Amino acid sequence: MPDFTPFFVSGLATAATYVLSAVGIVVLYRASGVVNFSQGALGALAAFVSWSIVEHGGPEPVAWFAGILVSTTLAFLYGRVLAARLAFSDPVMRAVATLSVALILLGFMGYVWGEAPRRLRLPTDTMSFELIGVRVTGTRAVAFALAVLATVAVMTFLARSRLGLQMRALANNRDLSAMLGVRVLRADGYAWIISGGLAGISGILLADLQRLSGQTLTFAVIPAIAAAVIGRFSSLPATVAGGVAIGVCEALLTPVPVIGPFRTAVPFLFAVVALLWMQRRFTFAYR
Amino acid sequence: MAEQALAYSLPVDTRTVRLKWMVAALVALAAIAVLPEVLSNYWLRTFISATALAIGSLSVSLLFAQLGMVSLAQYGLLGVGGWFALRISHGFGVPFELALLTGGIVAAAFGLVVGLPALRMRGLYLAIITLMMAGAIQVLISAFGFPDGGAGFLGKSTAARIMMARPHLAPTDEAYFRYAMVVLALCYGVVFLHVRGRPGRAWAMIRRSEVCALAGGVHIVAYKVWAFTLSGFLAGIAGGLLAGGVGQLDGSAFPASQSILLFALTIVGGAYSWMGPIIAGLMLRAFPALLNDFHVDGNIATIVFGAGLLHSLMTAPQGMAGQIQDVAAALRKRFAGKSGAGR
Amino acid sequence: MRWKSALLTLAAVTIAAGMSVGHAHADTAKCGLSNGKTAAGDPIIIGGIVSVTGPDNFSSSGLAAAAYFKCLNANGGINGRPVKYVLEDDAWNPEQSSQLAAKLIRDQGAVALVGNMSFVDCGANQGIYEKEDIMVIAGVGVPRDCFFQKNYAPTNAGPRVSNTKAIMDLARTYPDKIKRVVCIAPNIPNVGEWSCTGAVSWIKTKGGDGKIITFDPGSLDATSIVLEAMAFKPDAISVGTPKGLAVPIFAAAEEQGLADKVHWTGPASLYNLDFPHAIGKYWDGKVTVDMELKAADGNTPDMNNWLAVMDQYGQKSDPRDTFSQAGYLAARVTAETLLKIDPAKIDRKSVTAALRSVKKFESDILCAPWYVGDGPRHNANHTGPVAQVKGGKLVSKGECIDAQDPELDDLHAYEKTIGISH
Repeated sequence: MPDFTPFFVSGLATAATYVLSAVGIVVLYRASGVVNFSQGALGALAAFVSWSIVEHGGPEPVAWFAGILVSTTLAFLYGRVLAARLAFSDPVMRAVATLSVALILLGFMGYVWGEAPRRLRLPTDTMSFELIGVRVTGTRAVAFALAVLATVAVMTFLARSRLGLQMRALANNRDLSAMLGVRVLRADGYAWIISGGLAGISGILLADLQRLSGQTLTFAVIPAIAAAVIGRFSSLPATVAGGVAIGVCEALLTPVPVIGPFRTAVPFLFAVVALLWMQRRFTFAYR
Repeated sequence: MAEQALAYSLPVDTRTVRLKWMVAALVALAAIAVLPEVLSNYWLRTFISATALAIGSLSVSLLFAQLGMVSLAQYGLLGVGGWFALRISHGFGVPFELALLTGGIVAAAFGLVVGLPALRMRGLYLAIITLMMAGAIQVLISAFGFPDGGAGFLGKSTAARIMMARPHLAPTDEAYFRYAMVVLALCYGVVFLHVRGRPGRAWAMIRRSEVCALAGGVHIVAYKVWAFTLSGFLAGIAGGLLAGGVGQLDGSAFPASQSILLFALTIVGGAYSWMGPIIAGLMLRAFPALLNDFHVDGNIATIVFGAGLLHSLMTAPQGMAGQIQDVAAALRKRFAGKSGAGR
Repeated sequence: MRWKSALLTLAAVTIAAGMSVGHAHADTAKCGLSNGKTAAGDPIIIGGIVSVTGPDNFSSSGLAAAAYFKCLNANGGINGRPVKYVLEDDAWNPEQSSQLAAKLIRDQGAVALVGNMSFVDCGANQGIYEKEDIMVIAGVGVPRDCFFQKNYAPTNAGPRVSNTKAIMDLARTYPDKIKRVVCIAPNIPNVGEWSCTGAVSWIKTKGGDGKIITFDPGSLDATSIVLEAMAFKPDAISVGTPKGLAVPIFAAAEEQGLADKVHWTGPASLYNLDFPHAIGKYWDGKVTVDMELKAADGNTPDMNNWLAVMDQYGQKSDPRDTFSQAGYLAARVTAETLLKIDPAKIDRKSVTAALRSVKKFESDILCAPWYVGDGPRHNANHTGPVAQVKGGKLVSKGECIDAQDPELDDLHAYEKTIGISH
């Protein structure tokens, strides 16, 4: 019987990454109805910009600020200028449009930085503590804390503030919201700014925790969507719980003999089961 | 999905239709006869892949145009079909056609499984769940590993690799391209028969209104399942053709992102027209090959792809096929001087 | 300016500076006839397939071959005929690789392929290489297929040999301490498990035990991999992955403070100038990396010639790594073989026959003579030194180790017949 406890801890550590990305996706979905496939790519770009500044001797806080600024600006530009044109399209089309942004960013990063062995370091890497025999760096704890913090902050914002209310209205029904006097483009813009900022922060943390690679970080959005699915794309606490569940189960399967190599399928299987569970009452289409 | 007029089912003058079909058949025959001779070996192989992917795109557009359902798992099903075709061919030494059909049938079974959640879902949720399934298929394929030339059903090679045997009729690249085009035509034929027949009418009704379909006595579940199964079959055939083209398949070549790309380019090509899948296949394989031929950095190709996709989504909902048809109609109007009855 | 090229220029300058006092790469590069005359005859077409766009940039071998052929053309070419070297990118895609092989071989009529470096080329193009009977003198082979083909002869050693040598070196450095070994590799079947089996088989012949851990390259959880490895209670761990995948694994190991608990090593895929900087100061002196060829700062004639060729005929951004050395050697052996053929009779058939008859190619970059031969498979390079990560650089330990992988027995037997002994 293999010892599972160290894997439990490493699973919690991985869960931090899933939760971070998933929260960003859920926030944007709740605010604008778009599933943002370019979340990972925006984050990767922020990470590359930060890394480049640090490599050239710039101070770290400036590097992080610059990276997050880049991702926020790009997200805002896309959301305000391009996504607005698709606002009346099918949700699937709008999601696929974000994929095109991901492709553009992926090509750009591949062209400018290419794939080379690099490491993005954060000052919290050197701080660590032990949890059931496994060392956890400060960065992971920060990632987890930030994820929870972001969740709480966004939840409060959406529930309590006027702008948050407008965003929720927009996601619910764009036409009616416009008729009611909600400044559609303004609310949209803010939603994308928040999402872009979250993408930048999670990108920098993910690049530190996983790998500074354009390809990996861009397509890490797909397991993040799995976590968002478990949260039903609406409930942020459920998203956090989903992310934790995925991370922990995936890691726990590592020492299991036959199933071990297939453990990266855990996010997807969980998402499928969650979706089926959510839709278990037969929904009839009244059309 | 708005009230899109399906190109297959508009009421038109039968003489015009017959003429159009004759022209189309002649063009197809000419392509099959002439194209392989004219193309260089580089482009020959590119077009073989493009043909296989046109069948893959056909499987996507079948679901989308007929039932309005988005499946982001089709490339994964392509991989499954290819895997089984390779394995049957290596393991039992059967003729290519049998391996191809087996790949198609197994992929159809997987397509059925993918389609089951579709009975309860639509729109974005359906897309997401199929994407999740594509992710699961991706992990399965890369963990299992593609058969890499070893003997036996699951054999992994320990020495020189055995490549998949080409069909007896088509050992050379030229012949295989013709073979692929014939298979593409047959797949179109199968889809056409479905669309013109009972399934097509049932699908059209389900798409317009499920309530009416139910009231009309259409067995909704059966027809939806049938659509997914058929589209899975087509994807499997495409995978088998791809495997035969290269001789082997790479386990890492079937990630979920490729399924999204396949769907996206099918929309760009035009899901509602018969031309759409062919355009999509060309874009997926011929366009990157063109850029590579001119030694354009592969990353630039990715950027161009993304930008083109965005542009298409924003300006051409009917896809490039729709734009081509619009241009054709405009030209016809100008030359014929008629107004309105363009098609 | 691209950051990447800045970093690599810096690295190249560092190597140049690190070399011995005032020597070497100031010399003129010598290629082929070395007569300084520009070749202007009927071009000979030679192709090359590398993987640039994608998960990693695998092109240094092709770039080195390109530099060498440029140098050759400036020095009389092949008895007056220049070499037209066509380098293509297959973007890690087997379909694209097979298209390019058809283009180079059938459309452009290449007489040989030189300097290949691609994960997918060996598997995808075996059929066309054998059908058209064209020899591929690869710079770098990685998957098993590259070492088990009649028409493919890499100048590098391959990950299996590399992993084996890495473990053998550790066993030599710490006698009787290395009994349990873990080898980590990506789960690509003809690369991952195969590349680790050599090391594990060897340690078992010495009475030890080994475990192979394969993982999904798309997985984001390096910590679990490291924990799984540690659960076996190993004395040595070989991280047999491409360098991009190795960095997160070393980062996870650093997080768990494992550098002093286990001996860490890796195959030649980690032999890259960015690698020590990427894994950081924590690993200084704690990681060894296998080298398939001798160290770049050896200051021996052919080594310096390689650097001179790269300086004078290559780009500043071309990596000067072990794969570049391999590409240079591939180009050099091909050029010298072609020079022996009657220039009017250079076609694919004569070139293939001539390359197959290469039985003893020597260079001070290699630890042992290299050969092609007419056997069913080629893996002539299985001897090389091992380096250590020290002071932000990779420093060679010097001694050449010959891999004792049981799978190489057929090659050892063949080598006896052509008179190469180790």
